[in-house]
Amino acid sequence: MIDRFSRSVALRNLGFNLGQSALTVGVVAISVTLVIFLGALIGGLQRRLISSVTGSVPHVVVRQAERDPVAAWDLPRTGPDAPIVVGEEVKLQQRKMKIEDWAVWTSRLRDFDPDILAVSPVVEGQAILARGEKRQSISVTGVTPELHNKVVEIEDKLVSGRFFGLNGGEAAIGFKLAEEFAVRLGDKVRITSSEGTVGDYTVAGIFDTGFAAVDGRTVFVTLRDAQSLFQLGGAVTSIGLKLRTIFEADTLAARLMTQMPYEAESWMEQNQTLLSGLRAQSQSSNLIIGFTVVASGFGIAAILIMAVVSKLREIGIYKAIGATRRQILATFTFQGTLLALVGSLVGTALGVGLTLGLMQVRMAASSTGRTVEVFPMMLTGGLIATAIGMATGVGFLASLYPAWRAARVDPIEVIRGA
Amino acid sequence: MSGGMDGMDTMDEMDARAAVAGDDDAATQVFDIDKIFTDGITTQVLFDVNLTVRKGEFLAIIGASGSGKTTLLNIIGLLDKPTRGRVMLSGRDAAALSEDERARMRRDYLGFIFQFHYLSPEFNVLENALMPCRLRGRAAERENTDRVQGLLERVGLGDRLRNRPSQLSGGQQQRVAIVRALANDPMLVLADEPTGNLDSKSGRGVFDLMRELNQATGKAFVIVTHDEMFAKEADRVVHIVDGRIE
Ligand SMILES: Nc1ncnc2c1ncn2[C@@H]1O[C@H](COP(=O)(O)OP(=O)(O)OP(=O)(O)O)[C@@H](O)[C@H]1O
Ligand SMILES: [Mg+2]
Repeated sequence: MIDRFSRSVALRNLGFNLGQSALTVGVVAISVTLVIFLGALIGGLQRRLISSVTGSVPHVVVRQAERDPVAAWDLPRTGPDAPIVVGEEVKLQQRKMKIEDWAVWTSRLRDFDPDILAVSPVVEGQAILARGEKRQSISVTGVTPELHNKVVEIEDKLVSGRFFGLNGGEAAIGFKLAEEFAVRLGDKVRITSSEGTVGDYTVAGIFDTGFAAVDGRTVFVTLRDAQSLFQLGGAVTSIGLKLRTIFEADTLAARLMTQMPYEAESWMEQNQTLLSGLRAQSQSSNLIIGFTVVASGFGIAAILIMAVVSKLREIGIYKAIGATRRQILATFTFQGTLLALVGSLVGTALGVGLTLGLMQVRMAASSTGRTVEVFPMMLTGGLIATAIGMATGVGFLASLYPAWRAARVDPIEVIRGA
Repeated sequence: MSGGMDGMDTMDEMDARAAVAGDDDAATQVFDIDKIFTDGITTQVLFDVNLTVRKGEFLAIIGASGSGKTTLLNIIGLLDKPTRGRVMLSGRDAAALSEDERARMRRDYLGFIFQFHYLSPEFNVLENALMPCRLRGRAAERENTDRVQGLLERVGLGDRLRNRPSQLSGGQQQRVAIVRALANDPMLVLADEPTGNLDSKSGRGVFDLMRELNQATGKAFVIVTHDEMFAKEADRVVHIVDGRIE
């Protein structure tokens, strides 16, 4: 495709006009640096935003469908469709939201779809935490720690104590709660559930997840303890799922609903505004990237046209002594594409360097000494490949017009015009 | 005037005979060439030109400025197309060929020497001389390197193979251009005022060199020149007057 003539003339041109070559490489490199930096930053920001909502909750939660309470006397009592009222009547005419056959569903869910990474049965309820005079409303989450940690990470976020191997009568609490109540490992706290059940728990673990709602309000106990706190017998209130592809949560939840007698709610339903915000952000960053790449394309085209114009005489002579249009076309497209490729490699090195450098900058995020990146960056092979591919492709496209101009040079004009 | 017409008639008969004979002896032939330029105002530059260049022949074309010498040479060299008439090179009518096919014909059958050397500043002397071979590909370049290097030595540039063209004198540059014209072992070398840009001494040297290479290699040369002295030394001289061969 690119023969010896085209290759050697292109390479010599590049070497002979080093300034021009460097300029082109620079234009492409800057645009690729920008694309990689911007892409990594937007990706990182989005990942941070998404994990700020998905990091503390399961991607999909399966629970008893919520139904509006209906007074018994309002129910139609005649006809073949007359309802049979089932379920345990509780205060406020609300049915307890519970899943009795969770063990069956937990194992079925594990096999339901390979996208489901982990399944954890959960008992959740409201309670009051008390120690001495101090009391505060909290959320009690009863889990099997080893299972639940696969859905929502806690173990890695421990500041002290343990989460795995939590025993009956033990609780793991957020560091903010611990600070507020001035409790340390081994201290006792009292939990009074919304059902009125009271239990004393020993603080066995203190965690710092970085999510204020979790660190300041959540108390983990064992599944069994929570079941008795909320008088659920053997039932749980929900089943949490973790997915491999978090953006599949919506469709997976919808599929689950058609096959389960329960409701499945994805994190996406809860965060529609965030998601549409993210989409808008992606679009505007794509727009910026697009403009950058197009601008660099025009830069390459302009420089190459200059190169062609300064070489009109030589091109004419090459054609006079037998270069075909194809050979001239190949020469200059090769020249432009090669420059763009070199430029994108340089730009990749710069962009990756810049990104990795900024990723090192961290700042303290909480009193426990946990740090976070100041610039959330997400550098992926896909992003780099896209940047290189796009810049090189644009280089090729941008070189087509100058190359076509070169191929059209009429040798007669050159010979006469001297 | 009538003498001129007679001359043309004679030429016509000669070309006709060559055509009948299968032009085995011809390096190139043009028949009944008219050339009319239509850009801007319409001007006819060549009128019914017939010319046969024999193999190995050293032919000089002379004529006043503006008489159509360059135009004719460009048509013989397949750089330009005649408005009417045929250009036969290696048994093919070049008028029927596409632009790229004519480029390949130029590359394989013709050598060009211009008034200016037009060497590429990016390449050294040997590479410049080998450029027509390089246009054909790596194999052709490899096969011809020794011969081209020999030619460069013969024209006195054996110690300048790796020099840039800008490091040579005008006469030396034109010698490289002459070797380049012979690189693909062409049938015919076309030279448009090859000494026009040189002082008389190096012009003389370049002319002698072409004559010498013509005799040594047996390639036909067609040389446009203003110099009557050079023309006298050619095998044959063709006069062009106002676009007609006398
Ligand atoms: N592209 C063109 N359009 C119009 N007229 C042209 C064109 N090219 C050449 N001519 C005219 O054709 C005529 C012959 O030009 P040509 O270059 O063949 O002359 P020449 O014999 O080579 O002259 P010189 O000795 O000065 O080189 C001139 O009058 C020139 O102006
Ligand atoms: Mg001329």
